[in-house]
Amino acid sequence: MASAGGGGGGGAGKMADKEKKKKESILDLSKYIDKTIRVKFQGGREASGVLKGFDPLLNLVLDGTIEYMRDPDDQYKLTEDTRQLGLVVCRGTSVVLICPQDGMEAIPNPFIQQQDG
Amino acid sequence: ELVDKCIGSRIHIVMKSDKEIVGTLLGFDDFVNMVLEDVTEFEITPEGRRITKLDQILLNGNNITMV
Repeated sequence: MASAGGGGGGGAGKMADKEKKKKESILDLSKYIDKTIRVKFQGGREASGVLKGFDPLLNLVLDGTIEYMRDPDDQYKLTEDTRQLGLVVCRGTSVVLICPQDGMEAIPNPFIQQQDG
Repeated sequence: ELVDKCIGSRIHIVMKSDKEIVGTLLGFDDFVNMVLEDVTEFEITPEGRRITKLDQILLNGNNITMV
């Protein structure tokens, strides 16, 4: 009887603690609002746009979106196969990477293959 | 809520694969499965239209990338 009462009180404390930790994202997207970001998707698509909104499930709203597609022979050359979409909603379930458009540059391939003669 | 505003409008859905669906949005659910009407299906690379499906379709949200 006594332990049941004690268990009830302890349980209530744990519940409050759990509720605090429920929906914290490891990435604070509010600092990216109104900034141009680059997003990569499962399936190899890439998109750039201005982040207008997001939710805890990582669905994103981008404005002025430019979409890039990969080709077998393109191999991530970011072809001219780009499309302008206006306002889009990107599904969080297929997002694999989010990064700011600035501070990003193409570098020569660091993985040089050396052939033994 | 942004998708809520689109109910009744023509929308363009891009899948994870090279496929797109254009139709009128009738509704959706928490998992973003979508019900569309007057649907046209496009394959991106061959640049050809597939079937124009009238009636209604239920599009599985698992493969939707953009709306």
